Amino acid sequence: MRVVGSLYMAFCALLLALPIAVVCGAALNGGRSMFFPPRDPTLARFGEFFVSEPVWTQALGNSVIVAVGAASLAVLLAWPLAYLLWSTGSKLSRTLAALGSMPFAVPPIVFGVGLGFFWSFLGGLGALWAGVVSHAVLLMALPMVTISIGLQSIDRAHLDAAATMGATESVTFRTVILPQTIPYTISGFFFVLVLSFNEFIVMFFVSASGYATVTLQIFNSLRNGYTPTMAVAAITFIAVSVLVFSAVARWGDLPRLMGADQSNS
Amino acid sequence: MTVAEHIETGPETARAAKPLSAVRLLSWALTAVIVTLCVVPFLLVFVISFGRKIEGAAWVWDFTLANYQRFFVGALWPDDVTFLYLQQLGFSFWYAVIASLLAVLTALPFTLLLSRLSRRAQAAWLVFILSSLSLSEVFIVMGWDILLSNNSGLPALFKSTGLTQWLKDTGWFQVLRDWGLASPRNVKFKTSQFATILTMSYLVWPYAVILLYPALSRLDRSQSEAARTMGAGGWCVARTVILPAIRLPLFGTTLLLFVFLLGTYVAVTVFAAPAQHSTAVAIYSNIRGANLNAPFGAAQAVILLMSAGVCLALGHRINTWAEAR
Amino acid sequence: MSGLVLKSISKTFGGTRAVDLVNLSFAEGQLTALLGPSGCGKTTLLRMVAGLEAPSGGVILLGDRNITDLPAHRRKFGMVFQSFALFPHLTVRDNVAYSLHISGVSRSEAADRAGKLLDLVQLSAFGDRRIGQLSGGQRQRVAIARALAQEPEVFLLDEPMSALDAKLREEMQVELRLLQQRLGITTIVVTHDQREAMTMADSIVVMSNGRVEQVGSPQDIYHKPQNAFVADFIGKANFFDGMTVPGGIRIGATHLVAEPRFIGRSLVRVAIRPERACLDEEPGANRLPAKITFVRDLGPIREYHLESALGRMVVEYAAGEGGKIFQVGDTTEVRLPPDALHIFPAPTAHEALAVAAE
Repeated sequence: MRVVGSLYMAFCALLLALPIAVVCGAALNGGRSMFFPPRDPTLARFGEFFVSEPVWTQALGNSVIVAVGAASLAVLLAWPLAYLLWSTGSKLSRTLAALGSMPFAVPPIVFGVGLGFFWSFLGGLGALWAGVVSHAVLLMALPMVTISIGLQSIDRAHLDAAATMGATESVTFRTVILPQTIPYTISGFFFVLVLSFNEFIVMFFVSASGYATVTLQIFNSLRNGYTPTMAVAAITFIAVSVLVFSAVARWGDLPRLMGADQSNS
Repeated sequence: MTVAEHIETGPETARAAKPLSAVRLLSWALTAVIVTLCVVPFLLVFVISFGRKIEGAAWVWDFTLANYQRFFVGALWPDDVTFLYLQQLGFSFWYAVIASLLAVLTALPFTLLLSRLSRRAQAAWLVFILSSLSLSEVFIVMGWDILLSNNSGLPALFKSTGLTQWLKDTGWFQVLRDWGLASPRNVKFKTSQFATILTMSYLVWPYAVILLYPALSRLDRSQSEAARTMGAGGWCVARTVILPAIRLPLFGTTLLLFVFLLGTYVAVTVFAAPAQHSTAVAIYSNIRGANLNAPFGAAQAVILLMSAGVCLALGHRINTWAEAR
Repeated sequence: MSGLVLKSISKTFGGTRAVDLVNLSFAEGQLTALLGPSGCGKTTLLRMVAGLEAPSGGVILLGDRNITDLPAHRRKFGMVFQSFALFPHLTVRDNVAYSLHISGVSRSEAADRAGKLLDLVQLSAFGDRRIGQLSGGQRQRVAIARALAQEPEVFLLDEPMSALDAKLREEMQVELRLLQQRLGITTIVVTHDQREAMTMADSIVVMSNGRVEQVGSPQDIYHKPQNAFVADFIGKANFFDGMTVPGGIRIGATHLVAEPRFIGRSLVRVAIRPERACLDEEPGANRLPAKITFVRDLGPIREYHLESALGRMVVEYAAGEGGKIFQVGDTTEVRLPPDALHIFPAPTAHEALAVAAE
């Protein structure tokens, strides 16, 4: 039974890794076409992606700006929502939290279409800042969840203890609540960062060809076929994801964030 | 402690005066922001779906049901009826149902095994799963495209290893041809529903693991152990103890993945034949693609969202009904 | 500053009265234990004293100051919580210095005072540790030092021993009492453990159902319980229900000689401590034939469970006391000295239910 289980997990891992491995291998192709196994292996494509091809370097820059900006903004939006939900638990706060996670829950294409109309009325269509705001709203649900988990992990007796030692509500927030939820806030930030980095459907509608992120650039050139430089982008993105989630696992409690029971920690 | 030294008022009056304005201000500001950013875009889609396209220009505000009529029975109704768009919606549902079921059913045993590992091993696996989860659809489609395309990847592998010849010899090749998975010369996965559903299923598989993980890792292990001491075997435990306990998350996960998959675009355009494209593809081509008919695209988006909503509501109904039994 | 006084304090949650018209005064420098079964309202009362909970009615006075409406952070009564509520993101020293940091005491002075407090609780070597690296007993000391750092006028402890194992608990009770006597600080301890209360307290407040049942010194509470609830909750007692008759009490068919302080024919409940009943040959009133049904030898104490005309009862001897050793099945006589009998009015149906619920 145990052997069968391990084999099954290994099989799943293999299948999960297969297309990723293929893409990574394809990045080494010497020519302009994708082959697997790669022909005439070279690392020249990495140079193109990071340094020499302005299409890609600009897209990478945009991706970074959007991801970092969206992650920061999403955390700033999610904090008051999660705090209101935790401290009051009122009907209003629950409604707001539900509305705030709606963009993430519905098929992204619908929200993308809506944001496309929204920005065309507000004049943000095709502007990078509108892309940042769009991704922040789309992915706000993630830090809201992680911060809520963090807030719930605070023993309410800590707040009482702070009060008996002379802390006002704002001092308690600064000295007790905030420091204890920082790992969860950072996790939320990183989740948004990675997902924004990879998202392109909403970005497609709000960018209106005004600019492109890396994934959007690949999406736009889909009909012209793949090139090994795109595979380099894929490798970069996988590396970023693995790095970020490893960091979250290293400095935060990943199983707990994903909803595992506390008791077996 | 000097100000309140001589409070003579009763406790009730003093407490009523406690200021709440900061919280209230925050609530109002948040409500405004959330409504603007999360609700207004959806409302716009809804309102514009009643708009009218002007030939050669964009579109104007209107209140016409023409877009919906076109979706259900075609633009020329009642002279001519076409169910093209309904058929597209049907394909959306078909792909999404099969792919989400496939993902959940294969992810379930995996997640169960995962939740039995040590905390460290779980964290390592989760990093892997999350990295795969966050990987952009374009990269995943790229990978499977290389793997399934006709002149590289699996078909080439089949041919060079002689597997194709073996299939032909044993007669299975004809079966594959009947299923549309082979050309006269070799196996062929593009374009096919098989490739579409496989990729879509792959797309949401990590989501399935992540969504099932909380419920499975909170399973009370002593219950399974108790069942074992009463003589239940592995399968019996799974059927009588574990499955009933996770029925709800299992059902919920399938529904969520299904809704998510309704909007899949890249996998469908790359792997499905043009005649078998889904509503999501049609939305694209209407809003930003060749057709440029925003009101009709909006109407399709509304219908997609409504059908997702109906499915969620129906699922909820079925579930409460099953619960009550 | 002088003692703390509670006047007609009540607290209702929804429709239930958690605390019902409590009047108490806590003398300056004394340690008072609020003792009662779980759910009796003692923790709610303590939280109202701390300012964490607002009373539904009544007044709290500290000396001659009305502090009823003063919020917790202005009262600054040091409090030790059941879970200790130490901040996991701070070191031991920063936990202790927390109240000093937030009140703007300079870093060096705060560190200095925290050091002294850690000395006081014998944890000077642990200042830089994280809370997670401490044992339960060490955590409790940190919690005590932290609550004392602000030099509170009143020191509150909510079930401070419940997170410790049994052996450590007894040690810490003695240590805490010595520390409190050294500092001479007005202290209130909430506990459900009568041994803990009797070890530490100058005065014990026994509570049940949100009401004060008895206030007194530990000895008074034990030897002169004012009602059946206190007799039952503090220590062990044998109970019999009966009726007053001239010269004593009739229980079933048995007549016991006692000092009846009630008018004739009133229903009463009689209690006797197991160590006051005797199994001996000495002459005296209230001798009843009895049969030993079970013997429980705990080392320092030997318990005889016996069956008599009054029903089942327990008699207890300290080791080396009371000559003869009995075995199960032995028949003997049990003697209930009249001055050892506590006689209470029979509990009303309502009270009986409440006692039964514990």
